[in-house]
Amino acid sequence: MDSVTHLLSGFAAALSPAYLAYAFAGCVFGTLIGVLPGLGPSAGTAILIPLTFKLDPTGAIIMLAAIYYGAMYGGTITSVLINVPGEAASVITCLDGHQMAKQGRGGTALGIAAIGSFIGGLVASIALALIAAPLARLALKFGPPEFFALMLLGLCLVSGLAGRSLAAALLMTVLGLLISMIGIDPVRGAPRFAFGIADLYDGLGIVPVVMGLFGIAEILITAEQPVREIIRARLSNLLPSRDEWRRSWGAIWRGTGIGFGLGLIPGIGAIVPTFMAYILEKRLSKTPERFGQGAIEGVAAPETANNAYANAAMVPFLTLGIPSSPTIAVLMGAFIVNGLTPGPFLFQERPDLVWTVIASFFVGNVILLVLNLPLVGLWAKILHVPFRYLAVGVLVFCVLGAYSLQQSAFDVWVMIGFGVIGYGFRKLDLPLAPLVLGLILGPALERSLRTSLEMSAGEYSIFFTRPLCLGLLIASAAVLVVAALKLAPKQLRQA
Amino acid sequence: MKTLMKSVVGVLASYAVAVGMAGAQVFPSRTVELMVAFPPGGSTDVGARIVAAIAEKHLGQPMIVVNKGGAGGQVGWTDLARRKPDGYFIGYLNLPATNTVILDPERKAIFDADAFVPIINQVLDPGVVWVRADSPYKSLKDLVDAARKAPNTIRTATTGILSDDHLAILMLEEAAPGAVFRIVHLDGNATQVKEIMGGNIDVAFDNVGGIAPRVRSGEVRALVVLDTERSKFMPAVPTSKELGHPTVISNSTRGIAGPKGMPAPVVAKLADVLKKAMEDPDHIAKLEASGLGVKIMVGAEYERYYRETHEKAKKYVEWAKTRPQR
Repeated sequence: MDSVTHLLSGFAAALSPAYLAYAFAGCVFGTLIGVLPGLGPSAGTAILIPLTFKLDPTGAIIMLAAIYYGAMYGGTITSVLINVPGEAASVITCLDGHQMAKQGRGGTALGIAAIGSFIGGLVASIALALIAAPLARLALKFGPPEFFALMLLGLCLVSGLAGRSLAAALLMTVLGLLISMIGIDPVRGAPRFAFGIADLYDGLGIVPVVMGLFGIAEILITAEQPVREIIRARLSNLLPSRDEWRRSWGAIWRGTGIGFGLGLIPGIGAIVPTFMAYILEKRLSKTPERFGQGAIEGVAAPETANNAYANAAMVPFLTLGIPSSPTIAVLMGAFIVNGLTPGPFLFQERPDLVWTVIASFFVGNVILLVLNLPLVGLWAKILHVPFRYLAVGVLVFCVLGAYSLQQSAFDVWVMIGFGVIGYGFRKLDLPLAPLVLGLILGPALERSLRTSLEMSAGEYSIFFTRPLCLGLLIASAAVLVVAALKLAPKQLRQA
Repeated sequence: MKTLMKSVVGVLASYAVAVGMAGAQVFPSRTVELMVAFPPGGSTDVGARIVAAIAEKHLGQPMIVVNKGGAGGQVGWTDLARRKPDGYFIGYLNLPATNTVILDPERKAIFDADAFVPIINQVLDPGVVWVRADSPYKSLKDLVDAARKAPNTIRTATTGILSDDHLAILMLEEAAPGAVFRIVHLDGNATQVKEIMGGNIDVAFDNVGGIAPRVRSGEVRALVVLDTERSKFMPAVPTSKELGHPTVISNSTRGIAGPKGMPAPVVAKLADVLKKAMEDPDHIAKLEASGLGVKIMVGAEYERYYRETHEKAKKYVEWAKTRPQR
């Protein structure tokens, strides 16, 4: 009962004109940050922290939180329109979102993403307000071995279900893992696959690689087609049709569940929930072959998961003081600079602040929906631009984005190189999603494996004696076996 | 479309003008980046964000914190050593971790002790050993006895291989013969908190700053501060000297340095601006609120401290490399 009273007074504060204005400004900035591919949510939030120094702590935090989830939505726009993910969590949205745009359903894709994000964010906020603290404690049981097993399950799911061939998908996963090992070893600190080239010590940046594989490769593929029809996105079809609603509804709820559940575990990152949600929809679908060809569930599920994750990740932060992503760590910096220490005692010492911030999450989600639905039409108009102009614009945008990451021309070359590689993979019909996931999860997978083995003094039994970890490992094996059977030649399956 | 092209050209042109002018202007003419070689959320990061927020007022340009975590800081320091010495990219050295990275041949560090120009020291943070509030270890003696009784079973977290916390474990093992800890290298204080709260790790070797608020709130229990004097942030916790282990003294300092070859006026400007920021009562109050003791050492004084720490660390790295179980 107590938390309901607190929440109501939180709403009263969050709906005051000043705080509304902060939340609105945050959503606008955040969306812009999400749209720019070089500027991820964490860098964007960090850069904008000084903007908030003039505000009171509550206002500052409301604005920064709004920037954070605004950025999560902004990344979708470029994924759908030009096949360039604005930030890592929107990678999977490219697969079906851009196909929808090519079919003239770009407005619908953005519309369902906005609606899904809204529902996911809202439900996660409600859950945050009601059951945050006990869940967060429980999620901490998730130690390095479980972490390792979960990452492995993610890789198996994507490998097993991503493409038409299991061998090709596994090949791409391993390639992604190999690329992720370039640079300084995260545990012992020895350089690997760097060949003394200083630029390789930090590894290959995820953003330039992904922009190349998706954005640049897309331009190359499109450019070789003699005539390209101009995509017509009518403003009238922003809202999904009855059939699309039916398909998306379940996806949105499952995406919410996945996003919220994984958001409670510190360190998962925003990208795993989106991949998991996508794969789950593909697995459950009666027509999995539509995925990759513009299936609306393929946009609704990951976009919902993405926003539910962003809100749920606030739970370990607000209740335990553990930042679960780089962006939230930046937010934590803002709390501390403003004289607040996140953790269990913040709820007791400053309930006014905590509950106002939580209430502002609800308000922010509404603002994002109101802000984005009308804008969708505007964004979709970009698709009316003839390809020969659009391609140049996208190229400029990608080059500036890659360069702005750390003002390094090396990143631009990485992007162009992976653009050519991505073009080759598309021609050979090799799936890109496993490669991207391998690249992104590689370092966390390696670290959790080695930390687990340090915990057990080198005994591999640590992976089999912890029930949750064992369950996840069995699930990983099962996924691979099922995928192998499904994709095996007919005579083998009958034998 | 035409207007779009025009505006793109306009933006590019103004960018070119800005770049062209930068060389002619007085330092700093653009954003200064302050690198932290650890993931966000740790105590170096917190200190960096506080000082950067104040320093940019004196600097006249934004100062933003850039996190380059990984490999116990090596990723970040490699980057710092490689950067152009123009003062626009400076970063934190965490002694003795920076020294141990240089001293460990396995690391194949591409930088040496001369790669950095120390500018100013900000914080000196003593080591501390802490456990969960419901842990069976009530004192350092409990912990040492348990580590003797069942060697190599107590899961003990560092904040990275060859960090000051790692060396402190070795110092304690040396001072208390027969006690052996099962060392687990985590990537920072936030991860230590997560794993200890989750019951995956038994003991953490850390620094006072990262954990002081949780010690005061009673969420965790500090067993010993690895110093000769009690910390004002946790005055009830005994020191290693009091408990009969005067050789187990460990701390980490955080100071700011740049790549070698920075022009003297740039170093002087940065030292001046950062000193003003660090002497700001707001800076001291905010750091002390998060458990960090400010210890300003500028120029030659910090340079001397840097060299002394490097010499001391040599011995510990030898121990770490010869210890059988790692």
